[in-house]
Amino acid sequence: MREKFKLTEVWCKIALIFIFSACYVLAIPFPEKSRQFPQLLAVISLVMTVIALIVDFSRKDTLRGEITGVDDTELKVLDAKTKKARKRRLYQAWAIILVSTGVGFLGGFLFSALCFFAAFALVFGSVEKRVKNMIIAVALTIVVYFVFGRTMGVPLLEGALW
Amino acid sequence: MDVVLQAIAFVFQWQNLAALAGGTIYGIIIGVLPGLGPSAGMALALPLVIKWDPATALIFMGALYKCSNYGGSITAILVNTPGDASNAATILDGHPMCQLGRGGVALGLSATSAMVGGTIGMVCLISSAPFLADFALRFGPAEYFLTAMLALSLIAAVVQGATIKGLVAAGLGLLLSTVGFDVITGELRYTLGWAPIEDGVPLIQALVGLFAVTQALVLAESGESISRLARLSGGFWEGVRTYFRYPASIVRASLIGLFVGVLPAVGQSSAGLLAWADARRASKHPDTFGKGDPEGVLASETATNACMPGDLVCTIALGIPGSVGAAIFLGVMIIFGIIPGPLVFTEKADVIYSLFVALVLTSFVVFIIGMTVGRRLAVVTLLPNEVIVPLILVVSLLGSFAIRNAMPDVMISLAFGALGYVMLKGGFTPIPLLLGLVLGEMVETNYHRALMISGGSYSIFYSSIISKILILLTVLSLAGPYLGSFWKTLTQGEK
Repeated sequence: MREKFKLTEVWCKIALIFIFSACYVLAIPFPEKSRQFPQLLAVISLVMTVIALIVDFSRKDTLRGEITGVDDTELKVLDAKTKKARKRRLYQAWAIILVSTGVGFLGGFLFSALCFFAAFALVFGSVEKRVKNMIIAVALTIVVYFVFGRTMGVPLLEGALW
Repeated sequence: MDVVLQAIAFVFQWQNLAALAGGTIYGIIIGVLPGLGPSAGMALALPLVIKWDPATALIFMGALYKCSNYGGSITAILVNTPGDASNAATILDGHPMCQLGRGGVALGLSATSAMVGGTIGMVCLISSAPFLADFALRFGPAEYFLTAMLALSLIAAVVQGATIKGLVAAGLGLLLSTVGFDVITGELRYTLGWAPIEDGVPLIQALVGLFAVTQALVLAESGESISRLARLSGGFWEGVRTYFRYPASIVRASLIGLFVGVLPAVGQSSAGLLAWADARRASKHPDTFGKGDPEGVLASETATNACMPGDLVCTIALGIPGSVGAAIFLGVMIIFGIIPGPLVFTEKADVIYSLFVALVLTSFVVFIIGMTVGRRLAVVTLLPNEVIVPLILVVSLLGSFAIRNAMPDVMISLAFGALGYVMLKGGFTPIPLLLGLVLGEMVETNYHRALMISGGSYSIFYSSIISKILILLTVLSLAGPYLGSFWKTLTQGEK
């Protein structure tokens, strides 16, 4: 039982139970026609999630993600060391995404693009190829500027600061 | 007939041929770029063509709309990221084919599907447009509701043995579609006071997040180059030859595509999934589907390409878009002064038939470009991880941003990216969620309309023959996987 609680799949379903319950409760103040459909959906989805969770706990074998739409081969972790390395890379990627988006919000999407390319090149690229990767980062930012900024007229230099 | 001949003469004028070629190439590039589908492509191209002659501009937009699907299939096969929801079914067998070292064959299949499916669809459309529009008019709100339910229930076929999970994801998608103003009462729901989602969860931004951002996160986490995942081998022409080995599947997929396309508000994604599920059920070796079966790519791509012309019937004749892309196309038509409706076939016959003729021609142009340039476009998979991950993120988030020039849209995409990643880790596929989100408004609106017509009686949902057939198909698609395993268990027990 304790092992099952370590699984992302189980936590996903527990989170969904809370989300569907919240959707039902939040819909209570809506007018009847507005709340009828979302509440019906919330109840049906809640029941199905509970059934799925019961099935998970009644299974004796280890749970596995049943994914067909998206390639999950890279998510199958082999050992603790690989797991740790992947987790670090994921956190680094999220840090880059959040910082770059913040930069874009302040200075415009062009700076955000440069930040994305440069940060991924620095953090994920090899040390030997650092100069080459930085040149690619700048070149790609220029391409983004001409394709989106000049040709398509997307305001790439509009941010909260100016 | 005279109108068609005049339209042919018009399309072969140099400026229209240039618009057609430009739209085709632009559409493929937009489709190839992960996260940017026809909707974002048309939204981005609109400022470029706004001063053009309406017919020429529509030829450009039509070619863009049609060919981005083919471009999307390239990334679906090679990068496991659909350019648009319409390519969702292509992933199921296209990417496994690539992983098996048959990426070239899959691309050849996709290019041939674009030509054959598109041509069959357009020829049928031109010859029978008025009849198809009449048939679509027989659908009332209850039938629209049930059609969407059927599309959602097919999740059972997509999720393969995880029907409940698929339905939970679809339920979440449908619930997310209720965010924003209620179309019936005007009540604001689930926005938590955040203005950018008052008009609902934006579909393109959600799509970008669920597929492009999630894929970028998976790639970033793996630390491997895509080139390791997608080995491009196997000839394009082998794909063409393979395609014509399945004539029955071609006919079935084309008919499914046309049928789904002509039904209002049920778009290309449903057509691809339906045709894929049908091909799997009809196949002598259903176990190979989802693991790189060329028939799976053939069925989904042929149906999707045949669906687009049918989709246009609803958009042009009824003003009801069959997909997100068709909705943008509808907007483009209105911007150029062509008001969709039954009268458009007589009042603007020259423009409409020019568009149809151009789309037939586009089917061949996309095949030629696909067979010649498609291989070069495949170099995207050879890019190192530290380049492809930010490239996917920048292009997709930029596409998300460019639609309304608003940073909150980027935040929405990132939120959906996180949701898609968590779903992936939790054993859920994001495709049912996306379908729920796309079909949500149609489902709810028609649910209320049907009840209003019947005075609150639920009998309206099973009174007509069309409704009964749709309910039967829905029940079968939901019960099928369980009946299948039950039957399999029984027969194994006997042995």
